[in-house]
Amino acid sequence: MNKLLMLGSAIALTAGSAHAETINILMESVPDTRFVQVVLPEFTEQTGIEVELEVVNYAEMHTKLVPQLVAPSGSYDAIVVDFYWVGEFTKAGWLQPLDERIEQDGFDTSVYFDSLMNLVGKVDGVTYMLPFYNYAMGLTYRKDLIDDPKEQAAFKEKYGIDLRVPQTWDEYMKQVEFFTRDTDGNGQVDFYGVVNQGLRPDPIAMEWSNYLYANGGQYYEEGTWQPTLDTPEAVAALEAYKTNLSHYGPPGAASFGFDEAFNVAAQGKAFSYITYNMFRTAYDDPEQSAVVGKVEIAPVPSGGLNGAWGWAIPNSSPNPDAAWTFLKWIESPEIAKKRALLGGSPTRSDVFDDPELAAKYPYYPALRNLLDTARNFPVFTYTPQFVEVLGRELSLAVTGEKSSEEALEAANAEFAELLEKDGKL
Amino acid sequence: MSTALATGAIERSDRGFGYLMAAPGLLALFLVILFPIFFTVYTSAFDYTLILPTHDVFVGVDHYARAFDNAEFGQSLWVTLWFVAAVVILEFLVGFTVALMLNSVERGKNVYYLILLFPLLMNPVVVGLIWRMFLHPVLGIVNYLLSLLGIPGVNWLGDPQNAFWTLVLVDIWHQVSFMVVLLLAGLSALPREPYEAARMEGASTIQTFLHVTLPLMRPVIMVTLLIRLIFAVRTYDLIYIMTRGGPGQATDLVSYFIYRQAFVGLNIGQAAALSILLLLIVLALTAYLYRYMRSLA
Amino acid sequence: MATLAERSNAAPVLRRSAGLRRALRVAIPHVILVLFSAAILLPLLWVLRVSLTDKVTAYRIPPEWTAPKLDNYIEIFSAYPFATWFTNSVIVALASTAIALPLATAMAYAFARFNTGGHWLRLGVLSSQMLPPVILVLPLFALFLTAGLLNTHAALIVAHLTINVPFLAWLLVAFFEGEAKQLEEAARVEGCTRFQAFVHVAVPVAAPGILAAGLLGFILSWNEFLLALILSGKQTNTLPVGLSALETHRGVEIALLAAATLFAVVPVFLLLPFLRKYLIKGLSLGALK
Repeated sequence: MNKLLMLGSAIALTAGSAHAETINILMESVPDTRFVQVVLPEFTEQTGIEVELEVVNYAEMHTKLVPQLVAPSGSYDAIVVDFYWVGEFTKAGWLQPLDERIEQDGFDTSVYFDSLMNLVGKVDGVTYMLPFYNYAMGLTYRKDLIDDPKEQAAFKEKYGIDLRVPQTWDEYMKQVEFFTRDTDGNGQVDFYGVVNQGLRPDPIAMEWSNYLYANGGQYYEEGTWQPTLDTPEAVAALEAYKTNLSHYGPPGAASFGFDEAFNVAAQGKAFSYITYNMFRTAYDDPEQSAVVGKVEIAPVPSGGLNGAWGWAIPNSSPNPDAAWTFLKWIESPEIAKKRALLGGSPTRSDVFDDPELAAKYPYYPALRNLLDTARNFPVFTYTPQFVEVLGRELSLAVTGEKSSEEALEAANAEFAELLEKDGKL
Repeated sequence: MSTALATGAIERSDRGFGYLMAAPGLLALFLVILFPIFFTVYTSAFDYTLILPTHDVFVGVDHYARAFDNAEFGQSLWVTLWFVAAVVILEFLVGFTVALMLNSVERGKNVYYLILLFPLLMNPVVVGLIWRMFLHPVLGIVNYLLSLLGIPGVNWLGDPQNAFWTLVLVDIWHQVSFMVVLLLAGLSALPREPYEAARMEGASTIQTFLHVTLPLMRPVIMVTLLIRLIFAVRTYDLIYIMTRGGPGQATDLVSYFIYRQAFVGLNIGQAAALSILLLLIVLALTAYLYRYMRSLA
Repeated sequence: MATLAERSNAAPVLRRSAGLRRALRVAIPHVILVLFSAAILLPLLWVLRVSLTDKVTAYRIPPEWTAPKLDNYIEIFSAYPFATWFTNSVIVALASTAIALPLATAMAYAFARFNTGGHWLRLGVLSSQMLPPVILVLPLFALFLTAGLLNTHAALIVAHLTINVPFLAWLLVAFFEGEAKQLEEAARVEGCTRFQAFVHVAVPVAAPGILAAGLLGFILSWNEFLLALILSGKQTNTLPVGLSALETHRGVEIALLAAATLFAVVPVFLLLPFLRKYLIKGLSLGALK
């Protein structure tokens, strides 16, 4: 079939080269894409290159991308890559290294946060991507409740400590318990301390990672890649997750995706929700949220999960030079700032340090804190498969079909298998 | 005798005509589908992944052997069996009832027909998203209406057992009209004479139904069930949107499982073997039903 | 034997219960059909309601009744290429059905009347559909890439053909079996060629089935997602692919989706004049003799 693909690509190339310069980019439907769309006309004005943005659903993006990347010449000049495809795409050799271009054009990559460059920038020392936007996870919570003196008094009385933005996991758990209550006196709990996203595979896996880190656990040992999911810390993390989901959260959380969970919090029915930082602005949008101005974001105690997307040029790109021109431009300091002003999630320290942006978005310091403390999920060739396995086992534990120990042992074993397959273990 | 000779001659040229009629359709199919099918069969014997898409490493029946060891695959087959049985049987019962009713009314046919077409024009992604909204345990309209009736809210998709049946119900809402359309077409193509004969013999409604309608409808009923069955096995969009195979593994249908092998696990060789196994199972089932149908005729 | 007087005394009672039975016989189907229609319409009415509000109002429980606004319907066209998606879906569905239907009808006739290819060919044709589409995606992609047809309507139309033809053919076989055979033989005796018998006798008799098959083919193509995702590009995206983009990484744009969904169901109204003409003829076509 590869011969067929090569033949097909050759035909497509000769057909395509007659047109004026147009580049095609595949992106996912997320606000940051909208902001890119807004600034696009400037690019065309400056360079004469037309940009066609095709926007698809996140989940389908991988399915759509893969055939395009396997083919020697595909339809897309530039793409965006989610952090957990990075290992897969680079191992398969689908992305073009950018180091030469970066050096040639003097593009400054030192402004990117280290954690982001490690996640969606460099792989084994070679730069394949430029970080596009980050979606590190943080704790969104009802600031108005924390600041309420009545709540503060009641909390202090019950637990003997102050009510404040939680600095430790234990504090957070107490707050979750405290705020789960029946507010209309009908005998049924209708306000929840936390809302979880227990849907397989990535919502539950991503959310649980925060619990794992907060309980002192980790996915693997640095350096040796020995999986460490069958440890007491991991079990404690899973038990805490189960408790939150079933006792302090709304019914049905076991199958909530981001949307269902967010809506519970946005309708004012939950005190907290550990989620991606891009949801922070959604809370302040009157068309989406009933708690405008009441929610803030803070780092998850003990460090939350990092997440990001990066720009890349596939090897199957019909016009890599034009694609690089675009990448350089979209990630240039002026344009990155413009996108951030529109509401984008930045990846560069110079954007965070910019006074104009800090004035417009008062939660920037909190966001920066998030990025500084965020931890990366294990990224290797088979990360998507691992997320699938982890999600399945976590879900089985949550529904009670497996004990936490059994589930984590199974996940650990398959993690080891995948790592071995990848040559890491 | 001349009739026998004539019959023989007609049969020979009839066969030719038959091939001529079937040829265009077959040609269209072969041109497009033959290569993918061969590719699937061929690749199932190799270690072909999207990381390394080459037919270099021959593994023979290894993928097939692994499939038998794979508990997740077995589980997904089991769930699929239940799902297909539930969906096909329930949709048939409801669909046939509606078709019979629609066939017997004089007025309003157009309106009813129009209404029942609506769900069919909504694709599974949209149906899934909309029902997820309706069935949200805290914010959805369904639980709210139940609460007005004093019934406690149901955990539609968060409980493994519920999730399975919720999916069945949503699928019924979405696809029962499919059955109605086909069965109604069958009913309206039935001849009048047998019914007149039955009426003259004083048969009751039930007797007419059992001894006239059902036998005459057998070919259409069988084909409808068969087609619906094959489609039900392919269900994966709805699962993907509503539950992703969870909670736990309660709604992990085999088509979705194979999809994950191919696009998440990137293991095309394995996915091909699983697909062939699935094809053999469905083919066996189809052949059995097909022969049963012919034996009744 | 009852006297005339006794019988005529009994008659009114029988007539009344006969009248009641007849009334029930007419009413019960309507009751069932109304219930069924309600089960379909009520959720759609709620979708309509959501389409006229925004996300925060859509999820407010107890429901809050705000003034309806048409913003979503406007946004669907201005912020998203909805018109493109819709047009593409219509083109692909109509074309693939228009091509598949004659091919399938002819094939079904051959299977039913002449047992062409025997059981093996029939099962073989259908077995292509027993493979999960996901495994056929990559080779199909390669095929269309080679043919230079990627991201065109033609690719999807042809791909959908391969789904439609087997199913429609199998469906139509059931409609070609049965008493139509005698009618055809009568026509043949009167001097018709085989093809004429096919066109002028078999097809009209199987009309309800052909109509249903056409509808089925249209719907299969209209709702197909995976092949549309892989084989289409920005200009040729169909509705299922386009609408899936409303499920964003920051939640589902539910109000927009509601508006888009209702708008996508519009073709039913376009089909209406066509349906009315053939439907009334088709549904009451017992035996056109």
